[in-house]
Amino acid sequence: MLNLVFRKIIQGVLVAFVVSAVTFSLLSAAGGDALTNLRDNPQVSPETVERLRIVYGLDRPLTARYFSWLSASAKGDLGESLYFKTPVAGLVFWRLLNTLVLGAASIIGAFSLAAFLVFFSARFPGSRLDGILDIAAVAAASLPRIVAALFALAIVVRSTGSAFEVGSGSWTMFFISSLVMAIPLFAVLLAQMHSGIKGAMKEPFVQFARAKGLSENAIIFRHASRAVLNPLLSVLGLSFGTIVSGSVIVETVLGWPGIGSLTVAAVRGRDISLVMGIVVVSSIFVWFGNGIAELLQVLNDRRMLAVESAWPN
Amino acid sequence: MPRSISKLSLILRYSAWTVLTVLVIVVLLADFIAPYDYTAQTRSLPSAPPTPIRFVDEDGKFHSRPFIYEQVLSDPLFGKFTEARDTKYDLGLFVEGDRYKFLGLFPAQTRLFGVISGGPADAKVNILGTDPLGRDRFSRLVEAIRFSLIVCPLGALLAWLIGLAIGMISGYSSRVPDTIIMGVADSMLALPALVIILAVRAAFPPELPPLRAASLLVIIFAFTGWAEIARLTRGLVRALREREFILAARSIGLSETRILLRHILPNALPSIAAQAAVMLPYFLLSEVALSFLGVGLQEPQPSLGNMLSAAADINLLQRDPVVLLLPAIVIALFVLSIGVIKQNLRSTES
Repeated sequence: MLNLVFRKIIQGVLVAFVVSAVTFSLLSAAGGDALTNLRDNPQVSPETVERLRIVYGLDRPLTARYFSWLSASAKGDLGESLYFKTPVAGLVFWRLLNTLVLGAASIIGAFSLAAFLVFFSARFPGSRLDGILDIAAVAAASLPRIVAALFALAIVVRSTGSAFEVGSGSWTMFFISSLVMAIPLFAVLLAQMHSGIKGAMKEPFVQFARAKGLSENAIIFRHASRAVLNPLLSVLGLSFGTIVSGSVIVETVLGWPGIGSLTVAAVRGRDISLVMGIVVVSSIFVWFGNGIAELLQVLNDRRMLAVESAWPN
Repeated sequence: MPRSISKLSLILRYSAWTVLTVLVIVVLLADFIAPYDYTAQTRSLPSAPPTPIRFVDEDGKFHSRPFIYEQVLSDPLFGKFTEARDTKYDLGLFVEGDRYKFLGLFPAQTRLFGVISGGPADAKVNILGTDPLGRDRFSRLVEAIRFSLIVCPLGALLAWLIGLAIGMISGYSSRVPDTIIMGVADSMLALPALVIILAVRAAFPPELPPLRAASLLVIIFAFTGWAEIARLTRGLVRALREREFILAARSIGLSETRILLRHILPNALPSIAAQAAVMLPYFLLSEVALSFLGVGLQEPQPSLGNMLSAAADINLLQRDPVVLLLPAIVIALFVLSIGVIKQNLRSTES
């Protein structure tokens, strides 16, 4: 168990290291740094630009710059954002927290609704609900976030008129943003739980529980749901990644100040240190989420430990 | 499963194939379907509303052939249009229009529909209105569908080929390289994809000419999207290489390369090929996201994503939401169709 935790952490560090190295070299090699725009400015002489390059250490070789970035970031200093004129670390942290709030709301909402529907489909097997849920899962999975976000925006704009302001941070916008974020999550959760519980209800242990005289509700909640828990956890672990990716569009369209809209601002402003900070912090965050989900799976089902440590096939 | 539901899923399946067929036809015949050149500007018609298509004229007389009146910008300050009702322009099918190359090869002039004898001075039929630069929205939408639906399958194809090659190498190699390659693939899958794509995109100049932007997107998508195919391929190769017929092939002294390419690959290919189609929505949505954010395919070349960015403008969105959201509807239909077909494949497999 501890072995697994240890291995996950080492893997995570490796991933963060490789991702940051690749992004750093790409961003530097492609030419064009924060001083590119200054070069076109007639009021700034080439000598000044050269001096600034030395001041900011941009004249040093790539590896030297990367390792100084790495050693600084290991101490929690991700540099200064040229676009926002504040330290990157704090900016990324608060924006990620905002996205996490939005993501948590959408996960809770999507999970509750999916669990509610799946419970009824398990409680009344063979009913029309089964087929409807299958179709609902496909439909919800096929509604891209960008489409949902723009339609939501259109509806809000039409109904509130010109008094409406994007990025006002109101409760309505929070609710709508989390709703849009929740749609694809709802689809995967619904599909996973529905097929899982359908399979579990046919298992011999459910037959046995029925023979013991347990009520149908107790069978679903105490026995069948245990079998669904593991795939569910792995889906929830993966949803950290979809939340960070999905936040890019949802937050930009609906104006929520999270990591997604920050990424867009950083890319548009060619704010290299901010892009680096976002990539590394969000990768670690997503990796952490996946790791926790895997640990919980092992805790729920110790047989997973054997699977985890065995040669993957 | 109750009968009504299975009937519904049958209808859904047919609709999905219909949508995809229509989209393929649009991709092939875009120039023919579009009434005008997608870059042609009509300066006198900025942000015009859709041209009303009429059957009844001023005197209340009914005409079996539809016609339009010319739209005139009557109030430039508020962008109001009125119709000049003195001349009517008949509409027809297969009319002479702007020159183009049919399928990019043969010079042609016939367009699917338009104003009959439509000279440059005649009224324009803009069934979706025009954009702020006076370009026909319908022609741009058709071209956008073509461009996006050519770029994304190219990206998917490249990612698929890379994934296939990596997966075969990983599946057929010994333990250490296999662990390393699959470790990389797993990490790629665990990372927030769109953030990584955006970060890579940030390394290149923000403004790029259309073709270069398109090839850049194809390459970025390929290098971020191969992991899933590689995993799938590796699994199949590992399962196949333990089979008897591979042992037999080895026993008659075939080379390992030959076994891999002639015996393992053909057996693994069908399942992997199906996965390629399933990946399409992912690539389309990445293109849409990037172009929407202004760092993907850029003006003047229309794409589904950059046409959508007009819908992010609240004032425009409030005025005509349906027209602005049409690209979104096309995207949703495409993704839904692939989703329905994917679901169908899965349920026939199980």
